[in-house]
Amino acid sequence: MKTLRIILISILLSAAALHAQSSKGGDIAVVVHPDTPVSDLNMADVRKVFLGERQYWNSKLPVILLVRAPVAREREIVLRTIYKMTESQFKQFWVAKIFRSEAVSAPKIVYSTDMTQQIVSAVPGSIAFMDAKAVGPGLKVVKVDGLLPGEPGYPLR
Amino acid sequence: MRTLGKLCVLLLMVSTAGLAQETTSADQAQLLKSLVERVNALEQEVQQLKEQNRQLQNQPAPPATPAQTAAAPSTTNPVVTTAVQQAVHDHTAAELPEVNESYPNLKIRGFANIDYSETDTKTQPSGFTMGQFVLHFSSALSRKTSFFGELSFTAQQSNYSADVERAIIRYDLNDHLKVSFGRYHTPINYWNTAFHHGAWLQTTISRPEMIRFGGRFLPVHFVGALAEGTIPSGPLGLNYNFGVGNGRQSITLLSRDGDPGDVNGSRAIVGSVFARPASIEGLQFGGAFYKDKISPDANSVTQSRFNEWIASGHIAYERESPEILAEFSHVRHNDILTGRTWDSQGAYAQVAYRLPWANKKFKPYYRFEYIHIPGGEPVLLIPELKAGHTLGTRYDITDFAAFKVEYRNWRRDIPADRWNGFFAQTAFTF
Repeated sequence: MKTLRIILISILLSAAALHAQSSKGGDIAVVVHPDTPVSDLNMADVRKVFLGERQYWNSKLPVILLVRAPVAREREIVLRTIYKMTESQFKQFWVAKIFRSEAVSAPKIVYSTDMTQQIVSAVPGSIAFMDAKAVGPGLKVVKVDGLLPGEPGYPLR
Repeated sequence: MRTLGKLCVLLLMVSTAGLAQETTSADQAQLLKSLVERVNALEQEVQQLKEQNRQLQNQPAPPATPAQTAAAPSTTNPVVTTAVQQAVHDHTAAELPEVNESYPNLKIRGFANIDYSETDTKTQPSGFTMGQFVLHFSSALSRKTSFFGELSFTAQQSNYSADVERAIIRYDLNDHLKVSFGRYHTPINYWNTAFHHGAWLQTTISRPEMIRFGGRFLPVHFVGALAEGTIPSGPLGLNYNFGVGNGRQSITLLSRDGDPGDVNGSRAIVGSVFARPASIEGLQFGGAFYKDKISPDANSVTQSRFNEWIASGHIAYERESPEILAEFSHVRHNDILTGRTWDSQGAYAQVAYRLPWANKKFKPYYRFEYIHIPGGEPVLLIPELKAGHTLGTRYDITDFAAFKVEYRNWRRDIPADRWNGFFAQTAFTF
C-alpha cells in the first residue's frame, strides 16, 4: 500500500513538473511593420500569409515573411499552430513551393528577438512572431481572431 | 549459460549506448535552448541600456564650466554620438540582407535520382539507370518580377540530352493577377504542376502513365502566356489559371510542344480553377480544360485536321498521413473533315500514409491507374486499354534524400501484354 502511494505521488509530481514546463513562456505576438495595412487577422488569414498563399498586403506592398531559426520557442509555436508541420515537413514544404514557382524564396530566418525587432521595424511589409513581452517600439501588434496577446482565448501560446 | 551471459552483456552495452546517444541529443537540445534564452536575456539588457542612454541624451545638458569647455568643446559630443549611432545603424543594416535586398538574386537548387529496375518483360528496360539531373533556378528581378527556370539532363544511348523544361518570367500585379510568359508544365493536370521533374518531390518512383514524360495522352508542356491568381472567395480559397499558347506540335511530334512556333496558327487555350479551403488544410480540388487544333505533321501548316478538347478534374489531400491524389482526364479528338469523334479516358488514384514509427521515415503507398484509348484513334495513335497497380514504400533517409522501392503490375489488352516489375530509386535534392 505504501509503495502504491509513493508511485501515485511520483506520477502527480511528474505531471505537475511537465505542466509547468509546457506552460513556460508567454503569448506569441504577430508583429508587422507599422505601415502594413492590417491590424486584425483571423487564424486562417495568418496561415495563408505564412504558407505563402497571400503574398501581397496590397498592390504596392509584398509580404516579407520572417521566421525564427530552429530551437527558438517562437518557431516551435509557429510550426505547431500555423504550419501544423514538423521541422522536416516545413523545410520540404518550402523546397516544393519554390520548385512549383509559387514563391521565389522561403521565409527569411531571424536569429534573435532583437533581430526580429530591427528587421520588422525597418522593412515595410515584413511580418514575424515574437514573445509578446519583448515587443518594442516601432512595431505593430496584429490582433489574431480579434484578440491581442494576453487576452483570454488568444490562440498563439 | 556462458553464451547467454555474453548475450546479456552485449544487449546491455547496446542499450546503454543507445541511451547515451539519446541523452547526448537531449542535452544538446537543452543546451541550445539555454543559449537561445540567454541571447534573449542579453538582448533585453541591451534594450534597457539603449533606453537609459536615450533618456540621458534627452535630458537638458548642464551649463558647461570653462574648464569643461576647454577639455571638450560642447559641440563635439552630439556630433560624435550621432556618428556612432549612424555607424551602428549602418552596421546593422549591412548585417541584415533583408534591408538591402539586391536584384537579381539567383538561387539554384538541384534534383537527381538513380534508378534500378527488374521486370519480366523485354519491352521494359532493366538494370541501373541514371535518372534525370535537374537544376532549378529562381530569381527575383525586382520586388514584383521573378524568373523561374528548370533545366534537365537525361541519359540517352550515346550522350545526355539537355532540355529547358521551364523558363518563366512572371510579373505580379497583386495576389489576384500574376502574368507570366514562357515554357510551362501545362496546368491541365495536378501531378504535372505539382511535381515537375524532381523525383524527390513525388512520393512514388514513377509518374502516372497519363502524364508520363514523352507520353502522348496529355500535353506535358505549354509555351505561351499565363495569367494566374486568387479569386476572392473567402474560406473556399479559389485560384485560377488561364493561358494562351502554342500547344502540341503535330500528330507526328505529339509529345513535343510548340517551342519553335505554332505549326497551324491556331493557339491552344488552357484554363483551370481550383480550391484550397481554409477549413481543411492540405486539401485542393479543381478542374481544368484545354482546347487546341492539331495538324497531321509540321508541313501541314494551314491544315488543322483535328479539334482537341481535354477536360480534367483532380482532388489532392497532401497531408502526410494520409496523402490522397486522384485525377481524371477526358481527351476528345474530332476530325474536322469527317466529323467523327474519338473519346479517351485516363485516371489514377493514389493513397500514401506516413507511418508513425521509426521517426516517421516510412511512407507506404498504392496507386491504381487506368487508360482507355479506342481503336482507330487518329491522334493518340496507339489504341490501348491499360490498367496498372503500383505498390511501394518511401524511406526518407534525411530531410532531403529518399529511397523508394516499388512493385508494378501492368496489363494491356491490345496487344495483349502483362508484366511485373521491381523498381528502386534514390532521389534527392541538393
